[in-house]
Amino acid sequence: MTTDYIEPIFTATNKVLNNILQLKEIKQGPTAVTEELIATKKVNISIGITGDLEGAIIFSFPEEMALKIVREMSGMEIKEIDKFVTSAVGELGNIICGNALTTLSQNDYCCDITPPQVIIGIDNKISLASEEISIMPLETNFGEFDVNIGLCNC
Amino acid sequence: MLWKEKYKIGIEKVDQQHKEIFNRLNNFLNVVRNDEEMKSKLEEIEKTLDFMGQYVVVHFDSEEKVQQEYNYPHYEEHKEVHDRFKEEIINFKQEFEADKYNEDLVMEFSGRLLTWLINHVADEDQKIADYIQK
Repeated sequence: MTTDYIEPIFTATNKVLNNILQLKEIKQGPTAVTEELIATKKVNISIGITGDLEGAIIFSFPEEMALKIVREMSGMEIKEIDKFVTSAVGELGNIICGNALTTLSQNDYCCDITPPQVIIGIDNKISLASEEISIMPLETNFGEFDVNIGLCNC
Repeated sequence: MLWKEKYKIGIEKVDQQHKEIFNRLNNFLNVVRNDEEMKSKLEEIEKTLDFMGQYVVVHFDSEEKVQQEYNYPHYEEHKEVHDRFKEEIINFKQEFEADKYNEDLVMEFSGRLLTWLINHVADEDQKIADYIQK
């Protein structure tokens, strides 16, 4: 299976987070492949992809990181995960995927995205249509999070 | 929601408008997120939505005019993004009018607005600055 769409997703994540949060550096850890996605972090933002690639990209943030992101953006004291927080982080996922799709369209992948879905909780099984899911761990000065890519170019 | 010097695009009028939008939205977020009852927030929400509906149109027009003056090559794409945003504000205004006491609806809109606006000013508008400076 070709997975040439993974790098553009990393590049978009890096770019958008740098622009919005002025992150110093995003370190990309080794990508793991799994058949089943069990949430290991509390705030999961799923963006559906349709078209030449089908499936979803899921951004998984620890609670503290999601709060820190929204604190940084809003300049406000944010103590708990609520609709405001999930919506702000959801839009972040939306923008990252939008950016990634622009690059992918130049590589002849023509896709669309669907609005962000928020899945809160650890240990939940997150269903994805694809047979394989690539888990890309990323390390930033805001915390560690994962980008889970469950796409199929079939 | 804090304005940062790095958001400047170097066109005084546009930078001032961006600052004004950030200030107004900052007040809006403070009202939306305080612990008061929804009833006491309605006036500020309505005021901000009216402001967004009017001022943002004026601002987008100024920004689009600058892009045309400089023959900015991504004018059409950028205008499309502006038009979609204006449409979103109109849609939300309608939803809000129909369901004024729905706090979740307002929270959801505010969160999206926060991220959208920062990204737009910190990324998409910076491309205009980069082009002009070249």
